[in-house]
Amino acid sequence: MSLRRKLIDRAFVAVIALLSAVGIAPLFYILTTVAIRGAEAIARVGLWRFLTSIPPAPGTHGLGGIGPALAGTLILTALSTLIGVPISIGVALLVVEFPNLFVSRAVRALSKTFMEIPTILLSMLVYTLLVVPMHTPSAIAGALALSLVMIPYTTTYLETYLESVPPIYREAGYAIGMTKAGVALRVVMGIARKGVLLGIVMGVARALGETAPLLFTAGGSHYAYPTSLTGPVDSITLLIFDFAMTPYTNLIQVAWGAALVLVAMYLAIFLAIKLLVKEVRT
Amino acid sequence: MRSRSDRLFLLSLLPPAATIVAAMMLMIYVFVYHSVPVLVREGLTFFASSRWSPSTSLRSAFYGILPAIYGTLVTSGIAVAIALPLSLSMTLFLNEVAPPRIRAFFSTLVDMMAGLPTIVYGLWGLFVLAPLLQRLVMEPLHRYLGFLPLFSCPPISGYSVLTAGVILAIMVMPYTFALMNEAYASIPLTYREAVLAMGASRYEASRILLSMIRPAIVGSVLLGLGRAASETVAVTLVIGNTPTISPCLFSSGYTIASLIATQYGEAPLYPFMVSALYGAGLFLLVLGLALNTVGLALVTRWRVRMGVSA
Repeated sequence: MSLRRKLIDRAFVAVIALLSAVGIAPLFYILTTVAIRGAEAIARVGLWRFLTSIPPAPGTHGLGGIGPALAGTLILTALSTLIGVPISIGVALLVVEFPNLFVSRAVRALSKTFMEIPTILLSMLVYTLLVVPMHTPSAIAGALALSLVMIPYTTTYLETYLESVPPIYREAGYAIGMTKAGVALRVVMGIARKGVLLGIVMGVARALGETAPLLFTAGGSHYAYPTSLTGPVDSITLLIFDFAMTPYTNLIQVAWGAALVLVAMYLAIFLAIKLLVKEVRT
Repeated sequence: MRSRSDRLFLLSLLPPAATIVAAMMLMIYVFVYHSVPVLVREGLTFFASSRWSPSTSLRSAFYGILPAIYGTLVTSGIAVAIALPLSLSMTLFLNEVAPPRIRAFFSTLVDMMAGLPTIVYGLWGLFVLAPLLQRLVMEPLHRYLGFLPLFSCPPISGYSVLTAGVILAIMVMPYTFALMNEAYASIPLTYREAVLAMGASRYEASRILLSMIRPAIVGSVLLGLGRAASETVAVTLVIGNTPTISPCLFSSGYTIASLIATQYGEAPLYPFMVSALYGAGLFLLVLGLALNTVGLALVTRWRVRMGVSA
């Protein structure tokens, strides 16, 4: 190779390596900032009290915790999984087991389109459909909005893993006289069970971190624990959003603590996903 | 021939499918239905006016969403302009230079970035990125290049269209990277072998292989724009939320999503304001779907042409 070509090649590698580092750097910056500021906040009150007590009222001193918001996030995530997973499994089975029907192709296309709808618009939709008739934001409404985010996402993963089951297993099932439902539910789902679990966990991770779908639907108080599924609930993401925009330094500190709790939950699920992916591939 | 039990199985799968169809139809119905009043009242000036003046008196209430449309396009444009070179570099670095172990580690990190809750980006953008950009980027640019309209306004706060664009770039980058990386990695081995057999250097090979996936890159850019336009909370926290249209990147602004996020709560108090926000939402919906449809078509058409299975 001529010197000129060699130099260009070296420069090229240096530039793309540098830009790659620039691209990934914000992740480290964000994670360290959240870890430091969040740990500062949590250390001031202790972890247990931070997770269970109520945040300080605006304009007062002290720190308190994020109890109601944490409870709300757990309720919303669980409820949206409960709504979203059966629908996702149904849709994925339809699309994979009856690929040539018009409904299947239409639903597959619609589900892909749904994935790209801005989540804030889903919040407006659920507001009109549920919050207005019920006269109150509620855990149900928030969970419905979250499940609308989750379903297309989870469905896509489930389709991929159900489709990856080799046809020979289906044929073996049919050969011993099993029905289509039997083969789909017991053979295909059985073989792809880790993939199915992975799709579900991915959906949960997604629902856990969403803010915009909850803006007009969950509507809970940061200061009161939720009392019923038809009443308002708070979430960690909503709390961070609201407290970040207040002028009170102690509330902002609570927001950083809440962010650390959220990131820790996210990273735990992310790790679980990575371990699952490894198992699914082998 | 389909047996009875198969038909029952199919029937039992239809309700979940119906919910998706119903959700889509309701989506279109709700947004069109609620947008009609403001569109009938204001006509096309709704999209072309920059006057956003909520009022309880019917006569003086007027809603123009041009600033929000402008802000959405500019912030998404900045985001993709920054994210494109970064994600291209990452794609090339991981595929052409990095050893397998680094490649695996790196893509795990990018995955982690892609899924990180958006509110965390927002919080960091508000308290870390905005002051940082103000001090290190906006103030120097204004001082030395202030004669350019882009940098003409003094950066009084860090909350600006530029800050929103940068935070969006950070959030969109993992997504555009994933799309490009998938396209690049699925170039059939024969092409790569042919290029290398001619004795191409890594730089030359990259250029040739990149030119092969050009449609996929254009597609990722469009999908990235769609993703950036639909992001809500992180932008709302850093853009300043004022209905201004300014050529200057340091002024505050609105995006459609941040307009909805900040105004929807009080909207029922003012006549036509709810309708105006649904109208803005409808615009965002159509914009997003258009970008995504064209983007996806480009990404998949490329795969078909190369004989790569989707």
